Amino acid sequence: MVNLTINGKVVQAEEGEVLLSVIRREKIDVPALCHHEAVEAFGACRLCVVEITRQEWDGWCDYVTSCLYPASDGLIVNTHAAKVNDLRKTIVDLFLARHPKCPEIIELAAEYGVYSTTYQTVVDGDNCILCGLCTRICDRMGFHAISTVGRGHGKEVSPPLHKAPPDCTGCLACAQNCPTSFIEYSAAKGFLTIWDKKFELLKCSGCGKETITKVFAEHLCQERKIPFEYFQICDECHRKQLAATMGEITSWDREAAS
Amino acid sequence: MQLKNPKQLATLQKKYKAAEERFPKKVLICCGPGCLASGAQKISDKFKQVLKDKRIKGFSVEALKETGCHGFCEQGPLVIIEPDGTFYTRVKTKDVEEIIEMSVRKGETIDRLLYSPNGDGQRIQRYHDIDFYRHQDRIALANLGKISQCNIEEYIALGGYQALAKVISSMKPDQIIDEITESGLRGRGGAGFAAGRKWATCRKIESDVRYVICNGDEGDPGAFMDRAIMEGDPHAILEGMVIAAFAVGSSQGYIYVREEYPLAVVNLQKAIEQAEEMGLLGDNILGSDFSFKIRISRGAGAFVCGESSALMKSVAGEVGEPRAKYIRSVVKGLHDQPTVLNNVETLATVPVIINKGADWFKKIGTKKNTGTKAFSLVGKVRNTGLIEVAMGTTLRKIIYDIGGGIIDDRPFKAVQTGGPSGGCLPESQLDLPVDFDSLTEAGSMMGSGGMIVMDDKTCMVDVARYFLGFLVNESCGKCVPCREGLYQLHALTVRVCEGRATEADLEKMEKLSNQVIIGSLCGLGKSGPNPLLSTMKYFREEYLAHIRDKRCPAGVCRELITYEINDKCTGCMACIAVCATHAITGKKGEIHVLNQAKCTKCGACYAVCKHDSVVVS
Amino acid sequence: MNHDLSKLPGIFDRYPKHQQSLIAVLQDIQKEYQFLPCEALEETARVLDVPLSKVFSVSTFYNAFSLHPRGEKVLRVCVGTTCHIRGAAQIQEQLESQLNIKAGETTPDLKFTIETVGCVGACAKAPVVIVNERYYGPVKVSDYKKLLRGK
Repeated sequence: MVNLTINGKVVQAEEGEVLLSVIRREKIDVPALCHHEAVEAFGACRLCVVEITRQEWDGWCDYVTSCLYPASDGLIVNTHAAKVNDLRKTIVDLFLARHPKCPEIIELAAEYGVYSTTYQTVVDGDNCILCGLCTRICDRMGFHAISTVGRGHGKEVSPPLHKAPPDCTGCLACAQNCPTSFIEYSAAKGFLTIWDKKFELLKCSGCGKETITKVFAEHLCQERKIPFEYFQICDECHRKQLAATMGEITSWDREAAS
Repeated sequence: MQLKNPKQLATLQKKYKAAEERFPKKVLICCGPGCLASGAQKISDKFKQVLKDKRIKGFSVEALKETGCHGFCEQGPLVIIEPDGTFYTRVKTKDVEEIIEMSVRKGETIDRLLYSPNGDGQRIQRYHDIDFYRHQDRIALANLGKISQCNIEEYIALGGYQALAKVISSMKPDQIIDEITESGLRGRGGAGFAAGRKWATCRKIESDVRYVICNGDEGDPGAFMDRAIMEGDPHAILEGMVIAAFAVGSSQGYIYVREEYPLAVVNLQKAIEQAEEMGLLGDNILGSDFSFKIRISRGAGAFVCGESSALMKSVAGEVGEPRAKYIRSVVKGLHDQPTVLNNVETLATVPVIINKGADWFKKIGTKKNTGTKAFSLVGKVRNTGLIEVAMGTTLRKIIYDIGGGIIDDRPFKAVQTGGPSGGCLPESQLDLPVDFDSLTEAGSMMGSGGMIVMDDKTCMVDVARYFLGFLVNESCGKCVPCREGLYQLHALTVRVCEGRATEADLEKMEKLSNQVIIGSLCGLGKSGPNPLLSTMKYFREEYLAHIRDKRCPAGVCRELITYEINDKCTGCMACIAVCATHAITGKKGEIHVLNQAKCTKCGACYAVCKHDSVVVS
Repeated sequence: MNHDLSKLPGIFDRYPKHQQSLIAVLQDIQKEYQFLPCEALEETARVLDVPLSKVFSVSTFYNAFSLHPRGEKVLRVCVGTTCHIRGAAQIQEQLESQLNIKAGETTPDLKFTIETVGCVGACAKAPVVIVNERYYGPVKVSDYKKLLRGK
């Protein structure tokens, strides 16, 4: 364990634990758009930047992304120093120039007092902020179905060859973790469509509700050794079934109903 | 033949040296990048063809050498007759027979081909006496222009691989690191980090695997020192790498070469094979139990891969996106193992330091910036080429004494160093000593060593716009300040160039630049605004002229200029032929007319006019 | 479009079959075909056992790779700093207007491609244009005919 100071308060942390995790444990609000506990820190959005210094640095400060910077003994952290706030403001301003119609960005910018961008609005700016969460989570899931394509300002997220991704299982991890809800998908009449790929959905044998894609279920069966029957019934019906087989709970249920 | 011990290398050196001395008279043909572009290969082929059927006393075709870059690219193709150093410039294939007859056979000099500094008929015979060479101090480039490209026998004859023999037979790894630390050698790739300290850190980390990587991704536009060394003296790099590997305890090395340098890849590969064959590389080097292998990793065209963590990703076959370096790559580099990354020039300097000692090296240069530094001196300077000077030499000495001043005696305006991470320094900084610290302090950077001289016809706003445009294309796009910030800075400089900016925009540019510097993830973004900030600092008047007067003083920014044809026009029709929009009309022999409405201001007419009749206003 | 993929096995044989060989393999394919055909990317992913998405990511990240067929003559205009201040933009523009394509594009008859390149290290000869493997410099705007010869 090491002792460090965050915004004047001495706190403890594991040696090498990243600052952002300590900051969040302390319930300090520091924004981060490209961070997710499930995947390795990336340091792309730069919003989680903090000011650090040490006694022996003699007043010299550095600005580091807290999602990547390891905690160490004697570190002095300021999460809302003037320069840090300035930088965050510039970043949201730049975001707003690129994604002028993105509700999440508009809201975040307003928090920093930015209501219209100072810079030149990017004409064809969409809502993908290129945080890379979708591709990293897809890698983490083991599918590697999508990736970033190109580089620089023209970089985008896409399936390979801009065609329906062969390795996608329709698990929806990308779409559900997208901070700006940019990844679209639709589910209707027994089919799920994402990245222009159509998947058959399993139907719950109990209530008939559509659950996960057949391909994803098969993948889980194979990789995680889960029997396929597990996926033939939805979570809710699972619980109901479970309840029906457990006497105590059923009697409690009857009492409550009466 | 595999050399089994250092003694065998010494014997071999004697043998090769004797072979070299058999024909004291030599013909050296520079086949560096500049001379090749001027047709050096044809000249060499012609020499071989003519010499095939000739017998000349005391000379053989073996004494004809295709060397690496001799340096004075401006005057290429170059042919040098040794041992006296007769220096023939701008040689053409039709001159070859004459050189063989007059200079090689009879020992006479062909005046016509000698260098004439002022173009006034006064000619200098030996290259040692030419100002361009006289003021130089060569260590890393010492063999360039002297030995055939990647010929291990000539390298050994000149004392090559002796430093390796010395460390293997008589030095402990720590002693090597101490020697390099003591020499004060700083990495020649840009930031100038102490090489010895880097090696020491790498050695200290407990790990079974360590890597040594040579950074040959010379991405700064306008720099070609590393290309010249990789093509012309690859064994010096290999020797430096083996020594580094022996010092830090590595058994696998990589040379990362940018794809724009195909000849460097070929020559390095040949050199690796030659060294392996002799037992100077590979298993049990010089019969010791130390083994080290080197593989070439070709870059694929990405400036950002000059950044260490991106380079290592690229070596691993991945997208070259940098990672935050709170854990340095010397600790966690290629495949997450400790990795020493040094650039070409640094590694090529290592054997010399081992041979001559840290004390000798320290005496050259300044206290905190020891040794020499190679530069490519290019742009609007009279003598363009490859040079090497002691650290601390002033810009003025480099540009005027070595470079011969500005082309056509135009006024000096600025010198750009450090590539897209560096800055532009004005006349008032000409007496600045060139070293890592002074350049950084002045708002520029050493970078890898490109030095681009600019005259009054260069617009500094356009230069800033150019570099930002370059970086927008080369940014990997991972972090926001670099991807979006540089994009916006570029858009703002475009506004200035087009006369649409306000003075408030200048402030905005300055502020955003500082945020990009603080906020970016890697060196590309952190130094990207430097060309903008340095030009805004030293050439603010020029920015204001664009903003207030809607005028580009250098006559470059096309939205702010017009081309006109004056009455000097002879009616040669050259401009009509190049005008893509048919804006110019006229008959042969009659003054041409430029229709402003159709003119796109591409400048093609201005560039082709030989009579100064197309003017910019 | 279908391409003759028979050269691929020979290229794969040159390298160990893992991710580290990816860039080298793609470079060799690019050299052989002048671009990276889609089928070749899929085959590379399979043989090197690298996800197709990663192959695509790498082949779009680096400048050296092109996913579209290139012309018989590839005109690479060096736009390094030295070439820039010595007029590379005018030369690029002249070639673009003569061929009626922009840098990065290929003429519909697949005869010419114009590309720009960061710096080729031949600054002493600036401005430089490389046609296929041959260097030309210093190039003047009026030299476009020489560069396009054979059109």
